[in-house]
Amino acid sequence: MKKLILSIAIMLLCSTAMAQNAKLPSNVTIKSLDGKTVETSIIQNDGKPIIISFWATWCKPCNRELNAIAEVYEEWQSETGVKLVAVSIDDTKSASKVKPHVEGNGWEYEVYLDQNQDFKRAMNVVNVPHTFLINGEGEIVWQHTSYVDGSEEELFELVKKVANGEEL
Amino acid sequence: MDKTARKLLAIATLLLFQFPVFNILNAQGILGGHVTGNVQFDGQFSRRDTTIGSSDVPEKLLSNARADILYTNGNFSAGLRYEAYLAPMLGFNSQYTGQGIANYFVSYKTQTFAVTAGHFYEQFGNGMTLRAYEDRYLGLDNAIRGINVSYRPWNGVTFKGLVGQQRYYWDTRGLVRGLDAEVSLNDVVTSWAESKTRLTLGGSFVSKYEGDETILSDISGYKLNLPHNVGAASVRMDLSHGGFGLQAEYARKGQDPNIMNNYIYKNGDALWLSASYSQKGLSANLQAKRVDNMGFKSVRSVSGEMLYINYTPAITKQHTYAFLSMYPYATQSTGEMGLQADFMYKFKKETALGGKYGTDIHLNASLITGLDTTVIGGKGTDGYTSTFFGTGDTYYGDVSLEVAKKLSSKLKLTATYGYMLFNPVIEGHEGDIHHNHILVADLTWKINRKNVLRFEAEWMGSDSKYDAAVDDKRCGDWIMGLVEYNFTSAWFVSVSDQYAYNDGIGNYYNISVGYTKNATRLQLGYGKQREGIICIGGVCRQVPASNGLTFSLTTSF
Repeated sequence: MKKLILSIAIMLLCSTAMAQNAKLPSNVTIKSLDGKTVETSIIQNDGKPIIISFWATWCKPCNRELNAIAEVYEEWQSETGVKLVAVSIDDTKSASKVKPHVEGNGWEYEVYLDQNQDFKRAMNVVNVPHTFLINGEGEIVWQHTSYVDGSEEELFELVKKVANGEEL
Repeated sequence: MDKTARKLLAIATLLLFQFPVFNILNAQGILGGHVTGNVQFDGQFSRRDTTIGSSDVPEKLLSNARADILYTNGNFSAGLRYEAYLAPMLGFNSQYTGQGIANYFVSYKTQTFAVTAGHFYEQFGNGMTLRAYEDRYLGLDNAIRGINVSYRPWNGVTFKGLVGQQRYYWDTRGLVRGLDAEVSLNDVVTSWAESKTRLTLGGSFVSKYEGDETILSDISGYKLNLPHNVGAASVRMDLSHGGFGLQAEYARKGQDPNIMNNYIYKNGDALWLSASYSQKGLSANLQAKRVDNMGFKSVRSVSGEMLYINYTPAITKQHTYAFLSMYPYATQSTGEMGLQADFMYKFKKETALGGKYGTDIHLNASLITGLDTTVIGGKGTDGYTSTFFGTGDTYYGDVSLEVAKKLSSKLKLTATYGYMLFNPVIEGHEGDIHHNHILVADLTWKINRKNVLRFEAEWMGSDSKYDAAVDDKRCGDWIMGLVEYNFTSAWFVSVSDQYAYNDGIGNYYNISVGYTKNATRLQLGYGKQREGIICIGGVCRQVPASNGLTFSLTTSF
């Protein structure tokens, strides 16, 4: 009997997983930097790719990644129309430092606060940095944890493919 | 059911899944929706080593494992988490030993209304009255099991309400009720909609209930008349105007004699303020707080880190370099005063100080002291009085300056100087204040697109000396070196050593290898590890003390 239940469970899991890519959740509550409560459905980019990067002010690799992309962000945008959304998982200890941190670094990203980590849990993020690539249909087509100098170039190759409507 | 019947049924089920009917149901979202999740496994073969506090382990292998499975279908979601601590890792409370479903919930959420039944995490404001949260690496989980509702009748107005019990290892304890309201005035007052000035106001009320128990007062030996319902309330604001921001929260708590405040009847209160200014390439942030008898737990007689209903944030900077984070500061909820200042500046490219690529500086300073108190009695009395602006013993202070500079297209250097003082009394033992000077150099060399080397050198000079009676293994003067090699974003190897060369004991050598593919990460380590936050191989995580072989696997799907 156990085997049977297990096989059904596996079939269910496989069939749902294969059905389509998971969509970006639209109804998770996050906050904008000016303190406004919004839903994740606000994360939109007119059918063009979106990078969602989970980060924290205290996370060195996250800061290296966001600084490295900041240097080439204009080129990325003009070439592919991609938008980067940086979701801070800073908790109440450092959440009030997020806006100064973003401005001080001169980042042009759309930034949200996920203080209660609802979005982090919904996206199954374990460690930061954790980066997701969303296609024009709002589907999560790729994700990666960790950042090493230079891996933003690998990410951009994928962004270009997604912008051209190619499968990854 | 006999064997043949079972086999037949299995085949029939398999066939059913191949039928178009099933696929249609699936595509229509009836059986559809999405299953996602994450799995984590951490293990260590521990060897006895008194110098880092790891002891003999009869099981040989210590492991923590957990899997979260999440199902979402439109507005509906459900999840469960299985945890297995079949000999918990060092640093985890032994009461975690065991396995089972530690967390489950169902939730329905629309734009205006949300309800969660089961386990949930929640925070009101900055958490000074209520914060149910989890830190999986610290073994902290204050999840509430009950019902959580939020309602947004108009844009900009949110009400939240909850009732439940808190997780206590494998049990749930206490009874917590809470209400919260938040109004974003710019969304409510139409004429303010486009204003540059934004104002959000909020307030919360949280109460806990507990039955009676016998606690005797110090002097008379009478049984204390314990309050069964204890309430805490707070008001908060978030004001911004262009680059200026001001945030504040004030919380009060009623009489709450408990084991942390030695059963005194004094009311508690806490004030937190944060002011900031920022523009592109420049920012400054100043924070202040005062906390007085604000520890709020759902069970009065339980000490330790579990069952906290509220959270009073530590405002000190969260350092991540090994020696800077050696003495992490945690709020003394019984009472403290604190100040923290942060300043960031970016020297632009092609300027005298900016050079070809620009230079970033980050300055931080903090000072935390106790309150100025006068003792008036023990258990069963108000305990003490305190003045609002008076300060007591110095608990913690730090100053750090970080300069980050890209030297060429391939080299990037971050240099940090830190000064830190730490009073051992906040960890519960008497002793002189430690004064430490710390230097860190962190150099990244991007050899080419696929090969990256990182070097880290740290030094710490301290006036503290190792004393076997206190057994604080962080004392003394230390040096550290780390080399990390990354091959693409997939592979990394790192070798590091921390060594107490004067007045201390300890030699922490470690070699780690890691492999990352998409959202799966596998890491193996060998050596001695101090507990703390470690950032290698491109991620940051909290690790427990260990000695021997460790491995960890995380994956998200």
